[in-house]
Amino acid sequence: MRKILANRKEQKRRERERNVEMKPINNNTLTALTSLKTTIPLVFGMVFSSDRLYVAIAAAVFATFWIVLNVFDQLLFFSPVVTFYLPDDAITGFILTNITSVLMGILVAMNMYIFRDSIRLKFDKSIFSGSLLAIASSACASCSSIGFLVTSTFGGFGIVTIDLLTNYQTPLRVISIVILLWALYHVQNKIIKPCVMPN
Amino acid sequence: MKNIRMPIIASISAVIFLATALALLISLSVLQQYDGIFYVYGQTQGIARGQQQITNATSSSNLLSLLSLISQGSSYQGSKSAPVTVIDFSDLQCHLCARYVKNTEPMINKTYIQTGKVALVFKHLPNRGFDSMPAALAAQCAQDQGKFWQFHNLLYEKQGPIDSGWANKDNLKRFASQISGLEMHKFDSCFDGQKYKSFVESDIALAHSLGFTETPSFIVAKSDGSSPQKIEGPQPFPAFKAVIDKELGGVT
Repeated sequence: MRKILANRKEQKRRERERNVEMKPINNNTLTALTSLKTTIPLVFGMVFSSDRLYVAIAAAVFATFWIVLNVFDQLLFFSPVVTFYLPDDAITGFILTNITSVLMGILVAMNMYIFRDSIRLKFDKSIFSGSLLAIASSACASCSSIGFLVTSTFGGFGIVTIDLLTNYQTPLRVISIVILLWALYHVQNKIIKPCVMPN
Repeated sequence: MKNIRMPIIASISAVIFLATALALLISLSVLQQYDGIFYVYGQTQGIARGQQQITNATSSSNLLSLLSLISQGSSYQGSKSAPVTVIDFSDLQCHLCARYVKNTEPMINKTYIQTGKVALVFKHLPNRGFDSMPAALAAQCAQDQGKFWQFHNLLYEKQGPIDSGWANKDNLKRFASQISGLEMHKFDSCFDGQKYKSFVESDIALAHSLGFTETPSFIVAKSDGSSPQKIEGPQPFPAFKAVIDKELGGVT
């Protein structure tokens, strides 16, 4: 009986310790989120004022994604003449495309900064998932050859997939932006962390 | 050595930058507004180079002649003697086709069809979903009674998400009943009996023979079907204008 009581006491003590340990972690996350106001401009300054190359990389990636996504959205055409237009029904998609392209530009440039400084030799995985989702949702949303290819390859299942991607294009793009923002948060953490003095 | 190199690199960079800016200015030279929509377009490559010539144009020219298309039973707008034909391959469920119908078609109609310069022919390419084929069959049944364009405009106006049920058989019949002058018993018997299934399938075969897989896709050709030019996607009016004017020989 004493042993059981002693065990329970020990368990409670461990739980209390665990809770105490958890509190600083939660505080840290909260602090990290609130400190984004300071860290994001700091990271931007570190990356983009250190070398013009990163500005060029960001601009190139932005331009590439802007062109690809707008071609998929059927707003930008190269044949028979170079044409860009923005009808009413495409305004939301166009805004999301711009946000995605800007985020991609910033993220790739920041990852290149990390890569060149050899802090980490890995690209953030969420960049790929975010960009893939953005491209897939816009490509399939247009009644394009890609949609036809998927439909003809996978038959009925392909049609259902394309339907889902087309009908839920806007939410999917919002999700991709959230993923890219998450990637941005991680990348800025990676850049800023080596500057923080350990306790 | 480093001091000597720097101005050279800077000058080369400046030249590249200026050349890029100049190229952009030339290629995106025109900013115009039609009916409240801004278009940026340029013609640096030249229209002829930008066009994708249809490879089997000679063999398909007869199939693409206006009289041949009309005799097959395809729906059309405009004069039979119009010198240029625009053939529209569309799916009634496709939202990009609706974008074209809303933004570009009215301008083509006003500028070219009303003036007798262009005839617009509709061809079915139902590949967007399970309800696309029934919608095409229903539209063709409306054509049986000369009400194709009313039905076509009504479907694009009421268009919903793909395969969400907005274009199921019951709703298609309901849409048909909203068209004044359409005899429903004739429509129902045509639609239920899938009278135009082979017609729609021949339209799909024609589209595939021309290499079209996406909707909307267009052929702009002379009325005898010669000199066909492809336009793919819901392109704005200036793109159509460039091709149509070329087919008309520069006369607008």
